[in-house]
Amino acid sequence: MKLPRKKLTASVPTFAMGDIAFLLLIFFVILARAQDDSHIQWQPARLKDVTMAAAPRASVTIDTGYKTYLDGKETSPAELAAALSKILGDAPAGQRNVFLKVHREARASHFEPVIAAISEAGGDLIHILEPEEKPATP
Amino acid sequence: MKLKRGKMLVDPPDCASSDIAFTLIIFFLVCAAVQPETGMPQMLPKTEAKTEKREQSQNIEVSITPTSIVLNGSPLQLPEFAQRIAAALKPKTREADRIVVVKSAPDTPYPTWVHVSQAIGQAGGILTLELESERTINVK
Repeated sequence: MKLPRKKLTASVPTFAMGDIAFLLLIFFVILARAQDDSHIQWQPARLKDVTMAAAPRASVTIDTGYKTYLDGKETSPAELAAALSKILGDAPAGQRNVFLKVHREARASHFEPVIAAISEAGGDLIHILEPEEKPATP
Repeated sequence: MKLKRGKMLVDPPDCASSDIAFTLIIFFLVCAAVQPETGMPQMLPKTEAKTEKREQSQNIEVSITPTSIVLNGSPLQLPEFAQRIAAALKPKTREADRIVVVKSAPDTPYPTWVHVSQAIGQAGGILTLELESERTINVK
């Protein structure tokens, strides 16, 4: 008499799939954050009649320590024009938006060389500002 | 004799916890990504060569300091400045005449500069920065 041999099934354990996906997501989130400028500390100035800003090609920030950053990476105003020209390339007018985020306590000696560099690179400058709060009506 | 009945432990099912966490992260990421940004656009023609001819004597000149705004020699505050610059630019029809040369003191705060820049833009002026390094940038 032949006894049938039990078939052994080899399956991949799937308990940890959710945890693996979670860790992968954390990894990619950290990677993405390293490329943007959300880690830079700055406070926008306020202005009446601000408009919605279109998507930028590049973002230049002057932080609370008055350091200049291009797309989250520290740079100097002297190097900014060349770096911006590289990013903007041959993009047509209207698609050369450059966000300028200046900390509200910055002085002309900090932001004017940056504006000059954006101008030199041929960028369409957009000052990123906060809308002024309207006074509460009684 | 009474026999004690064993209490049944009821655990909430936790097999879906990581999936819930995953969905929550996606939700917050999307919320963060769609936060709109507001601002003031300024068209910047490329910086002209140093040898550019300037007719400064005919252009309106504005000097900004931390405490005042000087328009053609008269110190003003912002609301008055907005009215005066609009009045000064109103009769000027040629683009070349609408150039406003702005000189800022090195310690001029950014909010003051932005307010002046907005007033000039709303009055139809073409803002031109005059930097200490003798470079001139046209800001429309």
